[in-house]
Amino acid sequence: MVARRGRRSARGSDEGIPSPPGYSAGSLHLPEFGACWALFLGVPQAALPSPLHRCPHSAIPVKFSGKQQASHYLYVREHRVREGTKSSWPQKRTLFVLNVPPYCTEECLSRLLSPCGPVCSVELQEKPDLAESPKEPQSKFFQPKPVPGFQVAYVVFQKPGGVSAALALKGPLLVSTESHPVKSGVHKWISDYRDSVLDPEALRAEVDTFMEAYDKKVAEEEAKAQEEEGVPDEEGWVKVTRRGRRPVLPRTEAASLRVLERERRKRARKELLNFYAWQHRETKMEHLAQLRKKFEEDKQRIELMRAQRKFRPY
Amino acid sequence: MGPAPAGAQVRGAAGEPEVMEPALEGTGKKGKKGSSKKRTVAGSPGEGLLQPVKLSRAELYKEPTNEELNRLRETESLFHSSLLRLQVEELLKEVRLSEKKKERIDAFLREVNQRIMRIPSTPETELTDQAWLPAGVQVPLHQVPYAVKGCFRFLPPAQVTVVGSYLLGTCIRPDVNVDVALTMPREILQDKDGLNQRYFRKRALYLAHLAHHLAQDPLFGSVHFSYTNGCHLKPSLLLRPHGGRHTQDRGHRKDERLVTVRLHPCPPPDFFRPCRLLPSKNNVRSAWYRGQSPPGNGSPEPPTPHYNTWVLQDTALESHMQLLSTVLGSALGLKDGVALLKIWLRQRELDKGLGGFSGFLVSMLVAFLVSTRKIHTTMSGYQVLRSVLQFLATTDLTVNGISLCLSSDPSLPALADFHQAFPVVFLDSSGRLNLCADVTASTYHQVQHEARLSMVLLDSKADDGFQLLLMTPKPMIRAFDHVLHLHPLSRLQAACHRLKLWPELQDHGGDYVSAALGPLTTLLEQGLGSRLHLLAHSRPPVSEWDISQDPPKHRDSGTLTLGLLLRPEGLTSVLELGPEADQPEAADFRQFWGSRSELRRFQDGAIREAVVWEAASMAQKRLIPHQVVTHLLALHADIQDTCVHYMGGLLDVLMQGLKETSSTGEEALAAAVRCYDDLSRLLWGLEGLPLTVSAVQGAHPVLRYTEVFPPAPIQPAYSFFEHLREQASLLPRPDKPCPAYVEPMTVICHLEGSGQWPQDAEAIRRVRAAFQLRLAELLTQQHGLRCRATATHTDVLKDGFVFRICVAYQREPQILKEMRSPEGMISLRDTPASLCLERATRQLPLLTSALHGLQQQHPAFSGVARLAKRWVRAQLLGEGFTDESLDLVAAALFLHPEPFTPPSSPEVGFLRFLFLVSTFDWKNNPLIVNLNNELTVEEQVEIRSGFLATRLQLPVMVIYTPQDRKSSVWTQDGPSPQILQRLVVLAAEALPVLEKQLMDPRGPGDIRTVFRPPLDIYDVLIRLSPRHIPRHRQAVDSPAASFCRGLLSEPGSLSLMPVLGYDPPQLYLAQLREAFGHLALFFYDQHGGKVIGVLWKPASFQPQPFKASNTKGRMVVSQGEELVLVPNVEAILEDFAILGEGLVQAVEARSERWTV
Repeated sequence: MVARRGRRSARGSDEGIPSPPGYSAGSLHLPEFGACWALFLGVPQAALPSPLHRCPHSAIPVKFSGKQQASHYLYVREHRVREGTKSSWPQKRTLFVLNVPPYCTEECLSRLLSPCGPVCSVELQEKPDLAESPKEPQSKFFQPKPVPGFQVAYVVFQKPGGVSAALALKGPLLVSTESHPVKSGVHKWISDYRDSVLDPEALRAEVDTFMEAYDKKVAEEEAKAQEEEGVPDEEGWVKVTRRGRRPVLPRTEAASLRVLERERRKRARKELLNFYAWQHRETKMEHLAQLRKKFEEDKQRIELMRAQRKFRPY
Repeated sequence: MGPAPAGAQVRGAAGEPEVMEPALEGTGKKGKKGSSKKRTVAGSPGEGLLQPVKLSRAELYKEPTNEELNRLRETESLFHSSLLRLQVEELLKEVRLSEKKKERIDAFLREVNQRIMRIPSTPETELTDQAWLPAGVQVPLHQVPYAVKGCFRFLPPAQVTVVGSYLLGTCIRPDVNVDVALTMPREILQDKDGLNQRYFRKRALYLAHLAHHLAQDPLFGSVHFSYTNGCHLKPSLLLRPHGGRHTQDRGHRKDERLVTVRLHPCPPPDFFRPCRLLPSKNNVRSAWYRGQSPPGNGSPEPPTPHYNTWVLQDTALESHMQLLSTVLGSALGLKDGVALLKIWLRQRELDKGLGGFSGFLVSMLVAFLVSTRKIHTTMSGYQVLRSVLQFLATTDLTVNGISLCLSSDPSLPALADFHQAFPVVFLDSSGRLNLCADVTASTYHQVQHEARLSMVLLDSKADDGFQLLLMTPKPMIRAFDHVLHLHPLSRLQAACHRLKLWPELQDHGGDYVSAALGPLTTLLEQGLGSRLHLLAHSRPPVSEWDISQDPPKHRDSGTLTLGLLLRPEGLTSVLELGPEADQPEAADFRQFWGSRSELRRFQDGAIREAVVWEAASMAQKRLIPHQVVTHLLALHADIQDTCVHYMGGLLDVLMQGLKETSSTGEEALAAAVRCYDDLSRLLWGLEGLPLTVSAVQGAHPVLRYTEVFPPAPIQPAYSFFEHLREQASLLPRPDKPCPAYVEPMTVICHLEGSGQWPQDAEAIRRVRAAFQLRLAELLTQQHGLRCRATATHTDVLKDGFVFRICVAYQREPQILKEMRSPEGMISLRDTPASLCLERATRQLPLLTSALHGLQQQHPAFSGVARLAKRWVRAQLLGEGFTDESLDLVAAALFLHPEPFTPPSSPEVGFLRFLFLVSTFDWKNNPLIVNLNNELTVEEQVEIRSGFLATRLQLPVMVIYTPQDRKSSVWTQDGPSPQILQRLVVLAAEALPVLEKQLMDPRGPGDIRTVFRPPLDIYDVLIRLSPRHIPRHRQAVDSPAASFCRGLLSEPGSLSLMPVLGYDPPQLYLAQLREAFGHLALFFYDQHGGKVIGVLWKPASFQPQPFKASNTKGRMVVSQGEELVLVPNVEAILEDFAILGEGLVQAVEARSERWTV
């Protein structure tokens, strides 16, 4: 951080770019954002000792295609958890991959790691998660496809040997090859657009099945409630619902607040104001206190304005 | 409300502490002296931020002292509120002269007096023989004609007296002037000196001699000539003390700006006979002035009222002084009042130049009101200000003059005589001198207009009246809708001849600018008629020149600038209806309009004279005044349109679509809204829906007239696209350029509540989806519209416009909010999903309809809001602000225009937008936009105090509306403090540049300058290929040619759904932000921007410890012992290119800043 700051200031003097605000070359010319960044510089990160230090990951370079010069690195290790922690990923057979680039899809990762051994499943996630995501596939109609960023992956091999082979991979891995091109840029957007145009009939079918199941569930619940209506439980309590013969006030916060408010108003109506001398005195004092408070506020405001030199008329 | 202060801390909505302070330092007010002197406001976190006052109980309820009670009572009776009282006191402290300064000025004055008395006399010479004048000095007067009778000699003045505001204690800083009257000895003057400028010639020679001797004195830093109040027959001598090291005292360094002493020679008392100087008398003979007797021998000489007044003014200097000192004498409140009034006038640029409403006039007005008992000497300064404004607002001195004269001497002329000679009449105590002789009718009307506005403001009580009344400058360019410059001024000489203004020229001593001003403004006022609210003219500035130079010529006195305040309702008509053809007035009408007047037969059968202007669109109608002005000036004043520089409609080019160059889009927006109205009618009448439609509401910028580029009906060329048969939709093709961008307009369709709705959030979504499908089906069946339904919306193609209908259920946000506590109590808590839904289905439609209503009241709203949005986006900041927040800021300009009037042209609104953004104190004030005037004064006060109490939980930019009094929904997700600060800085830079361009009489130059973003601050620039930018043509610098976007020019049959919302740059940006948002910020102009600016976040370059959550886009390097993570910049730069394959042309890393 120090080095960076030093560099910035050095740059400033070298090139002399930070110039006074003014206009040149027919466009707005302004001081740089520079100072705004102090915000970000000012927050030191808590340097927590990470358990990962003890079990170093191996790094596998990965590139989009052969044309690129620089590469990202996949940080992989065997998926292990402390004793007692539950994890749905199978021990020994699961490879935990960090820093998967956005253009790398699940199929792609599966293809890249298959030389190490047959791959059971690949799951990409936003952040590390010990549990497998629910198996039930999310509806493509109601869950818009997320835009991928850098992700983590859990790769389950069929045999434990796959994991160790993967840890020894040298790379660099190529995401997009001639035989398996991966779409990006304009081609990807066009195909995404095509995918976003969905078949309404399929949607209708899905909605119908869901609603059928829902209606059934609701009907069952109602039937159960009907059954229990007026039947005391083991301790003799009877559950009163709004479906009963004598509907009761719904147990909501709003309703209870309303009741309280009504009570308060009723009490306020009974009170006499300015009846006793002390009440008079108190109202006067209250008025004075209000004025004082206002005055203090105004003074504070003026002080602030003076500090900002707001009283220079021109 | 004044510039945002340095040293702030505002907590973002997320509760993350974000220090704004360093961002402010050194950005905005670098050059200003103020910032260096500024008290250190840094330190404790709450500094610079208003916080609710906490007083202990003992402090609040202690016994009041007498003094305190008195003060409180006084505040209540004399001032509006204690805040106003404190503000006024502070302001007066700021403008008052300190005692120390006064002492120094007094010392300087004594010196001046001594030196003047020591100046040697000269022998007597003829007036025309000026050989005695030394070489280094010129006579400060245009001696035309040169020949004049009389003799001159210099003698030291008989008396030197200080007159004017300095003695009264009403002079205000800065620019302190002390007026000194030098009474010329009787020996210098002769009988009949009042005739033919002889007195003025002598006065000028007297000054020239004085100047020559004083200039040699080391006491003075500068000795200049100037005109007294701009009257060019009456020069005065300006003396300023020397500021350098010549003075013995080191403390006098800054003396140069300490004071300006103005020397005014004046005749000895009772030298001129007042009856010779009445307004009806002539004192400049035609035979002398024009070298010929007036045409038609024997006809009386024309009166010279102005000339007479100028002579009289010199004789009355002392009596005025006496009057004012008796009135203002010991009354502190009156002095305060005069000082406040002077500030008021100065902020409105009314006090300067020839015929300005000067501080002296105001003092006399106060004296008048005291004499009529409208002001009492015990009144406070604020009350004096109020009373004078009230008087000005309600009294028209152009019709009913006033007089300070109490005597009823029958020899005195009547007020009516003065009204004949002068437009504005206010007589002094002698009853012979019109104090307002030089004030033109339009200047007075402007003063009246301002007074009226100020009274409304003072009465309204809601806003910070003090700030708006006394602290906000009102320069002409920001106050008037259109401004026009007459340049060069020498054209006015010809105009004077054309208008036959010879007597006036004779009266004004050849000053053709002031001679022509009155008739010209009357002419334009008559011509603009119902389109005009107010016409104001700039007053020629009072120039200063060195004593060795000739006085400046009339044509050198800058330009004449006229400001037009338009009446929006008058702007809609293209017709100027004249009298019926057989009426006698018809001839006048024809004469007035010249060749433009035509005989027309109207529908009611009448045959009338009429003038019809060519204007098809709203933008052209706004510019009809331009046509009127150029036509009338050319016709009547012989001023060709090359000399008229009309500053109106210049920014229209930035809102114009591609095809139509004459319209700024209001018509296209109206067409879209009409189509929406049709659609909503169809929805209302739809048969076969299980539930009825309870409301159809627009929720898109187009439907509130604030979309920068309105949509046009589209006609896709099918060959350009791929077809998706089953869904009857078009798809973009990879081998073609990106198709035209079509954004569907969102319409919210509420369905009635019913017991049939499920009470579960998931189930409601499914039911809504079923409704979307049914809606699409019914619209296709019953109205033959092409529809495409998805789970959340139905896209409908109607007449080439695409609407996105979203079905909404009123109770859904509530169901999302419901939480069940363990005890079974159901409570409502806001959740992100419920807030989002509420915003989209309830608040957005309400806002849209409110702004739609605003547009009906103020036709310029659309233009202002769109220009403002355009500018913010052009500066690449568009994505930091929601559409709605910018629309609300624009709406505030119309709903709370004080101290201006609501803008009637987009330009002036845009200037005020820049002013508001750059000066509003976002940290300590919420912007309250009182839509539909729903908030009462009390409610606004309540909102403000609530704001103060919860400031730290609120976003940096807080905008409240009647529907949203607590949370400022439209600024919740942005801007961040940095982005807002950046906008403030940019606006503060852009405003003076644009104003200077618009005030430049030679033409505005490149009006797009302020719309071009500075690119040198970004670390990486990603250049995009125009082939895949669908809105390429909307760029600020519109490209000459672009790609075909697959549109047909002539209407064809529509049956397939066009490509919707497909904008590659936006898709690309979404990917970039998702992948690299933690490392960098991305900036882009959605209107055809060809470049994305990338700014690294400095914090992201700090080496991080190795953690699973830190690895994104980083790589491991070893730093000493430890392994740390740093951004993998090379790979990221290549990722930029990969993610945008086809769209990205080049990735330019502009700096090496990112190397760690």
